[in-house]
Amino acid sequence: MSTKTETTSVSTQFLSNIIGKPVNVKLYSGMLYNGRLESIDGFMNVALSNTTEHYENSSNGLLKSYNSDVFLRGTQVMYISEV
Amino acid sequence: MSLETPLDLLKLNLDEQVYVKLRGARSLVGTLQAFDSHCNIVLSDAIETIYELDDEGDLQSVERNSEMIFVRGDTVTLITTPDEE
Repeated sequence: MSTKTETTSVSTQFLSNIIGKPVNVKLYSGMLYNGRLESIDGFMNVALSNTTEHYENSSNGLLKSYNSDVFLRGTQVMYISEV
Repeated sequence: MSLETPLDLLKLNLDEQVYVKLRGARSLVGTLQAFDSHCNIVLSDAIETIYELDDEGDLQSVERNSEMIFVRGDTVTLITTPDEE
């Protein structure tokens, strides 16, 4: 039981610690979004600023860059990592 | 303005033009009338763009206009403001 509360707190800690930092967000479609994490909620909905879009890997070239904030739907998110 | 949650970002886009990326190589541009926590959204004066590869493997796109469209949230992947052109 204590292990469980510990793991949840580590993951929630991670998510609150990376707010404002540059992150990579991978969706199930294979699209990778790189940007500054503006906010995140318990559904893993994500808001990014200064976002660039790549396929699978950022070395695969830039597909698009978004000037305004981007909302990504939580159910589509595979992972979020700090850059 | 600080954003409490990602869905607050969508609130700022109400009555504004939005670009919505959907599953299956589709996208929509329209005026955001309403949305909920499932990302069900209602757009007015929407243009749907469907991307397809033709027999030669070249990317083609088809556009479709709707005066008012309700989009089920589970197909939505991304929402942002469209590029100014």
